Amino acid sequence: MAKTDSNLSFILNKPHDVAFEERPKPKLESPYDVLIAINYTGICGSDVHYWEEGRIGSFILKDPMVLGHESAGTIVEVGSAVKSVKVGDRIALEPGTPCRRCTPCLAGHYNLCPDMRFAASPPIDGTLAGYYVSPEDFCYKLPDHVSLQEGALIEPLAVAVHITKQAEITPGQSVVVMGAGPVGLLCCAVAKAFGASTVVSVDIQPSRLEFAASYAATHTFTPERVPAGENAARLLKETGLEGGADAVIDASGAEPSIQTSIHVVRRGGVYVQGGMGKPDITFPIMELCIKEVTAKGSFRYGSGDYKLAVELVASGKVNVKKLISETVRFEEAEQAFKDVKAGKGIKMLIAGPNEK
Amino acid sequence: MAPSLVEAINQVTVVSDTTKPKFQRNEAFVLQEKGQFHYADRPVPKLPSTKHVLIRVLATGLCGSDVHYWQHGQIGQFVVRQPLILGHESAGEVVDIGSSVTTVRRGERVALEPGVPCQTCDYCRGGRYNLCALMQFAATPPHDGTLSTYYTLPEDFCFVLPPHISIEEGALVEPLSIAVHSARLAGITTGQSILVFGAGPIGLLCCAVARALGASTVLSVDIEQSRLAFARTYAATATYRMEDKSPEENAASIMTTSQLSEGADVVIDATGAESCISCGVHALRRGGTFVQTGLGTSNIVFPVGQICSKEGVYKGSFRYGPGDYKMAIELLNLKKVGVKELITHAYEFSRAEEAFEGVSRRQGIKSIIYGPGVQNALITSSE
Repeated sequence: MAKTDSNLSFILNKPHDVAFEERPKPKLESPYDVLIAINYTGICGSDVHYWEEGRIGSFILKDPMVLGHESAGTIVEVGSAVKSVKVGDRIALEPGTPCRRCTPCLAGHYNLCPDMRFAASPPIDGTLAGYYVSPEDFCYKLPDHVSLQEGALIEPLAVAVHITKQAEITPGQSVVVMGAGPVGLLCCAVAKAFGASTVVSVDIQPSRLEFAASYAATHTFTPERVPAGENAARLLKETGLEGGADAVIDASGAEPSIQTSIHVVRRGGVYVQGGMGKPDITFPIMELCIKEVTAKGSFRYGSGDYKLAVELVASGKVNVKKLISETVRFEEAEQAFKDVKAGKGIKMLIAGPNEK
Repeated sequence: MAPSLVEAINQVTVVSDTTKPKFQRNEAFVLQEKGQFHYADRPVPKLPSTKHVLIRVLATGLCGSDVHYWQHGQIGQFVVRQPLILGHESAGEVVDIGSSVTTVRRGERVALEPGVPCQTCDYCRGGRYNLCALMQFAATPPHDGTLSTYYTLPEDFCFVLPPHISIEEGALVEPLSIAVHSARLAGITTGQSILVFGAGPIGLLCCAVARALGASTVLSVDIEQSRLAFARTYAATATYRMEDKSPEENAASIMTTSQLSEGADVVIDATGAESCISCGVHALRRGGTFVQTGLGTSNIVFPVGQICSKEGVYKGSFRYGPGDYKMAIELLNLKKVGVKELITHAYEFSRAEEAFEGVSRRQGIKSIIYGPGVQNALITSSE
């Protein structure tokens, strides 16, 4: 069978029940839409979570849904009003379309749109398929020297850009990042690109910390099973950050990490919650209060984040290639999910069904 | 509250002559390490620098922290290890000034900002002196507070009271400044909706400042109906009584009954209570700001997932900093905020312990202790 025009899709029916299905090729819905042939898709913890649990918070899988949202592709068709891209352009895809009219959208916070249609958040189909339709302004052209595989890392990099912007990092500052998974590693890289002098990567897995040290962290730290205040004191001592870190980013969602974060951040500092774990945790509120810490949530990405992410890769300020552990064929998608769940590598990419 | 107290507030008579720097004894109300009070004479403080002023303390409000040191001997790492004068919410009259003082004159009535930072560290020089590690704060061990005849402060920590503001109201400038600090951190502007948890003095003052800054909806939340009834007459546009159900359910009720279907722009918590904080986070709109003003237990169960997914901004608020006292005074000056209504009890200095007992029983809203030698023939404390 000729593979070149297939819309083979990787579908989640219910937890641990996936299937490959040839779906009809999607049609453009507006003159501002483009049709994208998907080249590569990365797997995120949230994809794995839906595969395992069938839900995240109030998003519950009710009908079969295509997985995947971290994609890069090639424009194959453009609507009649499209001006910013043309057929043949290679793009990184921002996979969430907001309503553009509500208060958050108009205020420049479209990531908070209550009617956001986000790929692979039920009931919206994702990008692990041959083709995908998107409005043109959510497609970001990749420079010639940036590969499509790097393009598939733009999505998690945009998450890291958004988080790091929330942390208000300015040149010379110190940042501690909890969690050395893909997002944590990318936060280290973005923090460095934003001028941070000290970037501490924290994780319980030695292999992840080893990678972080070779990647973008200036220091690493392994917490122990002790109270958060003790871990924090040792971290600050070992990294020379007396008085605390200017900013702390949590990219783990883990309760002990969040508690430690509040003890690590300096008086008047910023703490950003990027990772999602248990919705309710025991939290050192007195410490936050007395130190006048500003804690900020960070959710996906918004205006300018994708553009900056592409620029960081294009200019060589952030290397995403190093995070790609393996690229597998589309037919191996299920095994890839299992491997990600087992903690293999850093970022696994799944080639589109039409990739040779 | 005794019917005559409001009139009494406007007629405080200072017994001794303070126009010449000839000083009375410096009488102090002292907390011992073991939690007992006694009165003691202390030396009249000398001016530590040419920029300091000497103040005759005329009225001091009592705060939960003063009562806490009395009952528990410590707050966190701050422990009463030697006799300590309590009190920090004071107003008084300037009786002597250092030779370099230019901004206040003898005889002026001032509100006291009772915390002196080092002024040389990064926090001080960076505009966040409330976070100075070397802050010397009145009534935080080991620094004596203001429940004595005299107190010294640098001139820039004294704020002249407008003529129509009584000395008792002057003692409320400190808690009002806490409310101002929180409101500024929250970024409250015209037209916004504000939820304030806690209808004690700080919560009430937060409501008042929010209204003064232009908020359209100021919803006061508490468990006590009587406090809410007062809040409604004072500064809240609406009230909500917390029910015996989960924080999420309370939040849902707040959002439906107050037509805040998208959540509140700003939430201020003046309780420190876990259930209120959780409810407040659930009732916060996407992208909204939550300011944590009240202090309670060290650790609580906190809905961090909500903060993450709605990109909430959750800010700790600690005391007050640059510009807060100034704004507080101006709010009183322009009559955008009134504090007289919050003063429910007043005591002569000789009955200071009664005041502490009353506050520990959560009587009224705000209790004042007059300075030594300050008398008012019409004082009654309603018991």
